[in-house]
Amino acid sequence: MSEPAVEVKNLTKVFQTGSPGANVFKKGIAGSYVVAVDNLSFQVNSGEVYGLIGPNGSGKSTTMKVVLGLMSPTEGSAKVFGLDSGDIKARSEIGFLPENPYFYRHLSGEETLKFYGKLCGLKGKALNDRISELLEMVDLEGARKRRLAGYSKGMLQRIGLAQAIIQRPRLVILDEPTAGVDPVGSRQIRDLIIKLKEEGISVFLCSHLLEQVQEVCDHVGIIFKGRMRQEGTLEELVSIENRYSIVLEDASPALIKEIEKLVAKEKGASIAEQGNPKTTLERLFLKIAGRKESDA
Amino acid sequence: MTTFTETRIKIPMFSPSRVWTIATGTMTQLVRMKTFYFLLVFAVLVAAIGNIDIKSASSVSQLETIKKVSFGTMDIFAWLYAIVATALLIPRDLEDRTLYTILSKPVRRIEYLIGKLLGVLVLIAASLALMFTLCLLMLAYKQSGFIADEIKMLQAAPNVTTAEIEEQVKLIQRQGVRPELAVAALASFLKSSVVAVMTILISTFASSSLFTIITSIFFFLIGHAHGMMTDFWLHKTEGNLIIRMLTKVFKLLIPDFQLFSFSEGIVIGAEVVPRVVWSMGFLTGGYLFVFLLISLMIFLYKEF
Repeated sequence: MSEPAVEVKNLTKVFQTGSPGANVFKKGIAGSYVVAVDNLSFQVNSGEVYGLIGPNGSGKSTTMKVVLGLMSPTEGSAKVFGLDSGDIKARSEIGFLPENPYFYRHLSGEETLKFYGKLCGLKGKALNDRISELLEMVDLEGARKRRLAGYSKGMLQRIGLAQAIIQRPRLVILDEPTAGVDPVGSRQIRDLIIKLKEEGISVFLCSHLLEQVQEVCDHVGIIFKGRMRQEGTLEELVSIENRYSIVLEDASPALIKEIEKLVAKEKGASIAEQGNPKTTLERLFLKIAGRKESDA
Repeated sequence: MTTFTETRIKIPMFSPSRVWTIATGTMTQLVRMKTFYFLLVFAVLVAAIGNIDIKSASSVSQLETIKKVSFGTMDIFAWLYAIVATALLIPRDLEDRTLYTILSKPVRRIEYLIGKLLGVLVLIAASLALMFTLCLLMLAYKQSGFIADEIKMLQAAPNVTTAEIEEQVKLIQRQGVRPELAVAALASFLKSSVVAVMTILISTFASSSLFTIITSIFFFLIGHAHGMMTDFWLHKTEGNLIIRMLTKVFKLLIPDFQLFSFSEGIVIGAEVVPRVVWSMGFLTGGYLFVFLLISLMIFLYKEF
């Protein structure tokens, strides 16, 4: 079996703070202590998309920073492809997109990718080819020479995603990848995540946008106040065991009546919901935006 | 057990190419932030200094004054630029979270710090070279004017020999453009390098660029009072214990910027003593090494 992309075991992170907060658990001479992450364990398997969801301040970003080696755990461990997350070798395998990234705004899209590519040891034709490939992938070929100061939020997220995968990492970590991005931009990011998964790249994303997580993740962990509250495959988490749904198309009222009769015949069974299925506001928006774009 | 990742990746202990990537990135950042605009202000100031006409003073003393003021201004601009430019780097990377994306790549923290410092040092050297060229141009222009006026005046005067005219010209040339002036510019560079590394150290624990700038200027000014601090340390045994302890701490921690004042003598025509220049070079190297080491120790354990 292949190595897990991320393996977090009994991770605890405690911060010292001057001001008391909601999670303050102890007060000492040196100040108060906040437990940001409490005995957290989970695993991101190779090639899967794992979503860590939870409200703001639940410990998602702290967990992510420990996995990235930007913070060290107070207790427990975090490993990336079997290596300690603090090991620089682990970072060769990671691509990271922070929440609301502010890259060097004086650099153009191409220069940004060149900068990060060189940091990963790429150079020459290999780097230039990779830059062109990525700019095309994230649909920023037209903004190649434009400085990042002139990019929209969605464009910044996409160039951020491109810099994250410049060295072809095996794991991509995304912190609130669609925060503040409009539905069209959000959809583009989701499509890119799905593309990464198809290419066999493991994705570990943190978000509080549940619908987004539901669309792309294989495994989901729900974190609250630093603790893992529930974890499992998306199917396990969202399916209601004692319910079953059939969606009919162009069914006559007579057929529906017939079905209702059949259900009534069975002891204990009942129709829990009935009516026209609803589209989401987001899907409706995307449909209209797509239509307007094709009209233009 | 050796993992797949361990066998696949080889990361050098130190990568000069990564350091250079960060250094060039820093240079581009500072240039595009238009920090070089201060050179325009300097050019205007040098032009103004060159046009100061002190009628009562001799050509020699006028040249001396122009040199002192323009090289002094160059020195101030260099260390001020070192502080402001350096203070804009690490705190801003942290505020903008650019630091996260850089350090999440296979970049060692020492490479990041050296890269940032190197970028600033190259820019300080470039700006000093430009300011030095401006000073020399202005000085050469004034010198040729003074020499022409002096020759004209002496030739018009009775009983003045050619030897006397040559002597007078030599006197003016001694206060004009001389190769030794490059050593004065070098001294400014050495001083600014120490200022830059001190600012890097402060920025590793500072919360903002503004705090870094204010603290660095404060320490820079204290660094000019080493003579006073030595006197206090050695001779004042009475007085407040806290002040005495603080004096010792400051004296040990803050670089002695007074030592770099040897350039002032060179500007007004003193001989260059190679031993002094070499020892200042070594001292600067020592400061850079020690301050970078302390910065690294702080930065290495810093959590973002």
